[in-house]
Amino acid sequence: MSDEGTEQSSQDDEVQYDPDSSRYDLYECPDCDNVVLALGRDEPPMSCHDRPMERVTDVEMQVKPPDVKQVLLQAFGLPKAGLDICLCVIGEGPLSASEVADELGYDRSTVTRYLNTLVELGLLRRSELNREAGGVVNVYHSVDLERMRRETLIGFYVWAGEAAALIEDANLTKQDYLEENPDRELPSVFWEEFEDD
Amino acid sequence: MPVPRRTVLEELAAESDAAARETTTVAALAAALEIDERAVEAHLQGLVACELARVDPDGHARVTITGEELLELGTDEMVIVDAPGGSGGSNR
Repeated sequence: MSDEGTEQSSQDDEVQYDPDSSRYDLYECPDCDNVVLALGRDEPPMSCHDRPMERVTDVEMQVKPPDVKQVLLQAFGLPKAGLDICLCVIGEGPLSASEVADELGYDRSTVTRYLNTLVELGLLRRSELNREAGGVVNVYHSVDLERMRRETLIGFYVWAGEAAALIEDANLTKQDYLEENPDRELPSVFWEEFEDD
Repeated sequence: MPVPRRTVLEELAAESDAAARETTTVAALAAALEIDERAVEAHLQGLVACELARVDPDGHARVTITGEELLELGTDEMVIVDAPGGSGGSNR
């Protein structure tokens, strides 16, 4: 396969922000470089510099569409096993951890580990119930859908904020370099140097 | 029509008592739920694996303290019970 063909195929997979779509919106301040992402909004979600923010309409950059499993892994450190556990037990139960492990083909210890990860992420709640033989049994149950929606969305926004800050830091570092070295080309290994910082 | 495992647990809790060790039978549960006895037995086996029910060697069943506490949580959502050393087997 030629490089040209590969490049064309890669471009076909990319998506571009559509201001007419209601999936999400990007707004920017007309007076500064403040840009915000908003979900489920018809109107600008906030004002900046005492003026309503304006919808971004001139995005030319195309991006690779995110894969939900990759997003969960990148943003929350939740690999496929965690997602499988969430999806496996919806509408069923009570199930034992061993049943879940057998159904999904994971070790029982793996199921326990990811159940606790899901609790840490706020996607499950854990309760301790008394056993007749003494001691306690851990019971994991789902949070309500509204809470899960809020937790995952805010969690993702925190991750996206960290990613945006990294990009902004890189841009500022590049800007500083060019200001300090007006006569020099930007090193080709600039990004690698930035990573070391 | 299939009956959820939770419904069997609720019926078991209604017909038995953990503290008093009062038991019921598979036949009584099947009649109350209007389902096949084998379906009840399958659900009971799952509840036993979760330590939510006990089944005596003579086939009598009752809810456990754990089962009663689970129902008191009042959650209708999915539940996974991670019992220490749970192997998924029956204590029948």
